[in-house]
Amino acid sequence: MASTTTRRPAAGRSFLPPSANVVEPYRLTPGLALRVGILGVVTLAVFAALFLRLWALEVLQGTHYLKTAENNQLRTVRLQAPRGPILDRNRTPLVTNAAATGIEIWPSDLPKIYADRYRELKRLSRISQVPLYQIAAAIKKRANDPLTPVTVKAAAREDQIHYLAEHRGEFPGVQIAQTYIRHYPYRSVAAQVLGYVGEISSPQLRHDTKKGYLLGDEIGQAGVESSYDSWLRGKAGLAQLRVDSLGRARSDLTLTRPSQPGQALRLTLDLNTQKAAESALNYGIRLARADGEWAARGGAIVALDPRNGAIVAMASSPTYKPSVFAGRVTNRGLADQGLTKKTAEQKNFPSLDRALAGTYPPGSTFKPITALAAMQEHLVSPYAYLPCTGSYTSPNDRNVKKQVFHNWDPFIDRAMDMPTALAYSCDTYFYALGDQFWALPADRGSPLQRWASRFGFGSRTGVDLGPEASGLLPWPSWRKRTYTKKTDPCCWQVDRLWKPGDSIQLAIGQKDLLVTPLQMARFYALLANGGRLVTPHLLFDIENQNGTVVPVPSAPAPQKVGVDAAALDIVRQGLYEATHLPFGTSYPVFGSFPIPIAGKTGTAEKIIHLPGYPTGLLKNQSWWCGFGPFDNPTLVVCAVIENGGHGGTAAAPAALKVFEQYFHTKAATTGPIHSD
Amino acid sequence: MAVLEYSGSKKAGVRREGLPLADVVRQIDWILLLAVGGVVATGLWAIEGITRHDVAFNAHYYLYRQAVYAGAGAVGLIVAALVDPDLYRRSWRWIFGGTIAAIVLVYLQGQAVRGSKRWVDLGFFKLQPSEFGKLLFVVALAGFIAERGRRVQEANTLLTTIGLAAIPIGLVFLQPDIGTALVYMAALVAVLFVAGTRWTHLALSGAVTLVGIVGILWLLPAVGVHVLKPYQQDRLTGFTHPTSDPAGSTYNINQSIVAVAAGQFHGRGPEGSTQTNLNFLPEHATDFVFASYSEQRGFVGGSLLLGLYLLIVWRGLRIVTVARDLFSAVVAGGIVFALLFQIFVNVGMTMGIAPITGIPLPFVSVGGSSMIANLCAMGVLLAIHARGRGARVSRRR
Repeated sequence: MASTTTRRPAAGRSFLPPSANVVEPYRLTPGLALRVGILGVVTLAVFAALFLRLWALEVLQGTHYLKTAENNQLRTVRLQAPRGPILDRNRTPLVTNAAATGIEIWPSDLPKIYADRYRELKRLSRISQVPLYQIAAAIKKRANDPLTPVTVKAAAREDQIHYLAEHRGEFPGVQIAQTYIRHYPYRSVAAQVLGYVGEISSPQLRHDTKKGYLLGDEIGQAGVESSYDSWLRGKAGLAQLRVDSLGRARSDLTLTRPSQPGQALRLTLDLNTQKAAESALNYGIRLARADGEWAARGGAIVALDPRNGAIVAMASSPTYKPSVFAGRVTNRGLADQGLTKKTAEQKNFPSLDRALAGTYPPGSTFKPITALAAMQEHLVSPYAYLPCTGSYTSPNDRNVKKQVFHNWDPFIDRAMDMPTALAYSCDTYFYALGDQFWALPADRGSPLQRWASRFGFGSRTGVDLGPEASGLLPWPSWRKRTYTKKTDPCCWQVDRLWKPGDSIQLAIGQKDLLVTPLQMARFYALLANGGRLVTPHLLFDIENQNGTVVPVPSAPAPQKVGVDAAALDIVRQGLYEATHLPFGTSYPVFGSFPIPIAGKTGTAEKIIHLPGYPTGLLKNQSWWCGFGPFDNPTLVVCAVIENGGHGGTAAAPAALKVFEQYFHTKAATTGPIHSD
Repeated sequence: MAVLEYSGSKKAGVRREGLPLADVVRQIDWILLLAVGGVVATGLWAIEGITRHDVAFNAHYYLYRQAVYAGAGAVGLIVAALVDPDLYRRSWRWIFGGTIAAIVLVYLQGQAVRGSKRWVDLGFFKLQPSEFGKLLFVVALAGFIAERGRRVQEANTLLTTIGLAAIPIGLVFLQPDIGTALVYMAALVAVLFVAGTRWTHLALSGAVTLVGIVGILWLLPAVGVHVLKPYQQDRLTGFTHPTSDPAGSTYNINQSIVAVAAGQFHGRGPEGSTQTNLNFLPEHATDFVFASYSEQRGFVGGSLLLGLYLLIVWRGLRIVTVARDLFSAVVAGGIVFALLFQIFVNVGMTMGIAPITGIPLPFVSVGGSSMIANLCAMGVLLAIHARGRGARVSRRR
């Protein structure tokens, strides 16, 4: 100490009196005082800093941080359950799950400052290759629900995941999550039947809230994915995650409730038959085009087991690849597949399942119904010979110039009994029956429609798939209802009448009548199984992961419709002759097939509207429906080729392909035929 | 009081200052004692709320332990207040050697907690010699400086002092316990400052230290030489950019700031303090005790504690000015500045204005060594005050 240096050493002893020469040994010198003063200033500065900081944090920013602290707690995360697979009847997987790593955002944890948030999302968009506007739209959609993560990309590439994991500090609110996406090993096979999975929409959410669906859930949006969603989806697990105030996970997920994987949905479809049906459709379309039917570009095939209604194959063309809905759905991907509003028409509506939602006039495939109804109503004896001529005019037609109804074969002139008329598909024979139905007294009602209705026409089949069309079975009352002054200003008073021509045309499945291929297949199943109406269904069973079967209500048992067995035999004989007698309409196709097949062709006129054609075109819809083996039918096939021309040209050969696959038997070479 | 009674020279004969107990009591710095008592009481109150949910079925586990430590510390305080500091001056070599021996002992049989060896298990108590070292280090250095007497301004003295100090600092640094090492350095600075080292020497040492810090933290890592372990580096520099890695090195600081601020004016109370109770705030009974305390007691409680600290430091600085000799002044200065440094670093750390180091908050953080050592240091301050020049004592001899 500077002040002590002047002290004399060894000077201090208590026996000496204080001397003026002796400097005090130690005292508070100005130097020390200065230094202590400096320490005091430092102290004050330190405490001032601490106080001010404390004040700034607790008093000025306290409210803000309090909110942070409140959000800064355990967060419950739903763990997506792996969705159950969809199998065919032989347990071949049609739809499986692929594990994927997805990118999710917790919107509440994004930076609060707009510029920061924008920068982060922009960077995320560049890394994940998801357009920024899509991310923004997804976040905006969840504006009122900040507690479920928004999926930016369901299946991100490995390098993207690695990058985000390494830089996770720079992406607050972004989370990498284990996800599952649907995988379709057979690509477009059975696309419309299987349907697809997508995020639940708000209207659906409002509708299905009771079933425990939550925002952000992936649910079946079409096909069996939708109708059996509650089994397939499993049960989401719950996990708790400790997150910090900035939303980053501070702990691993601790499982509080493990997710239960969805159950396996086993369908009645047979993969090989399904594939055969789809290629048969294309084959039929090719045949039709080769025959000059340039407008042929769609169709449907239904194959079902007539004993119980199990659908073995259900094909609809054109089709699409459901994989465009897996992972990130892009508008472009959808447009390529014809799944957007804009491109659907151009691609001929691939998402439409024509087998159950496409309605067509059935044409001659409807004749067995007329035959059954006529026999049941005792209008005709099956073995009575009626004339088959080139054209028919109704004796009930009161017009001066009577309407002439033409036969498909204008040169025929011979008498036929009912089986032959069916085999030959004689139009005038059935015109006459239709005319008789019209002439029945009013108290008999409309027996043809009544029987058709009993056979399932005009109403939905109840198949476990949707949406299903009910078709149109024209009753006189329907006409009266439909044609009003408003809808038909010029001629409603005339149009609403049920005239002889209406019954005549209905007898051969024309004019107003519309049916779906599935309804038709169901009716042919009734012919095959001896008069019982089946409920077509796709569900084989639902199985747990360990293979045990889950009890679910099965499809209703086939219902007897009260049709006479003898009448059925007549019709079946007619259908057998159609395929096995030389004048039969599909003899060239099925005549040489080793398995006895019975079936009916149909060539139905329909006015169609094609893009680019201002007025409708009258085009033939090519039909074939039938069953086999004849003695003990196990398969019904119904095929429609849109605008495919004659039934024997396109639909019958296509149907044969399905039989070939199903019975593992090849037909001898066949040739297309031109008949009704 | 201009009576020459005492010579600081070591050549002076041993002279017992038989200050009776009654005189010590009469000369006690009551304000300091009350402030210390207040801080200890506040600390116990804080611990009671903070650790309520830490040990299952025993809400008062830490409180009782801490109370026992405070009791032991009170005994230490009384003893230290009664012992004449001159005893330390004369035996500074023993003290210095003992301190180093105790720290070395930690290496030989210490227990590693989270990769750091700081404790010696005495069976009933886990002793942390480096905590007591804070006091003993100051006393030993002050003893050396007092021995040098007038030569204190020589560069030789300065360098020797630094050299002596470097031994315990290095040992503690290698434990590794950067926080305590920094406290030792702060104490060294205070010792040199109060002892009267030339301003130029101080400035030079300061400049060298600054270069050293910059080199260790930024320059050497840049060329690939890592004196500090990466986590230490992150902690020391992390507070300057708290949002850079919130899940990693700056997680603690972010949680701590949230905890402090969430307390708002009145605090959230022991039950509502989610940051503490849900363990978002790690080490909330030791290193981050101030954050938890602020969360529970708010600005009111925080101000109370800081005010009491300020009172202690103020009285401590005053004692530096009334110390009867150079040794006492230097000891008081070292103790007070080390205390101030610990308070600032610890409290500042919880609020994001100081680096994160494992420094306990004096008198509050759970831990026996820290509590007892700090109370003993307060005892030494009281002893210096009682024998200081302000004392109205009739020195009959």
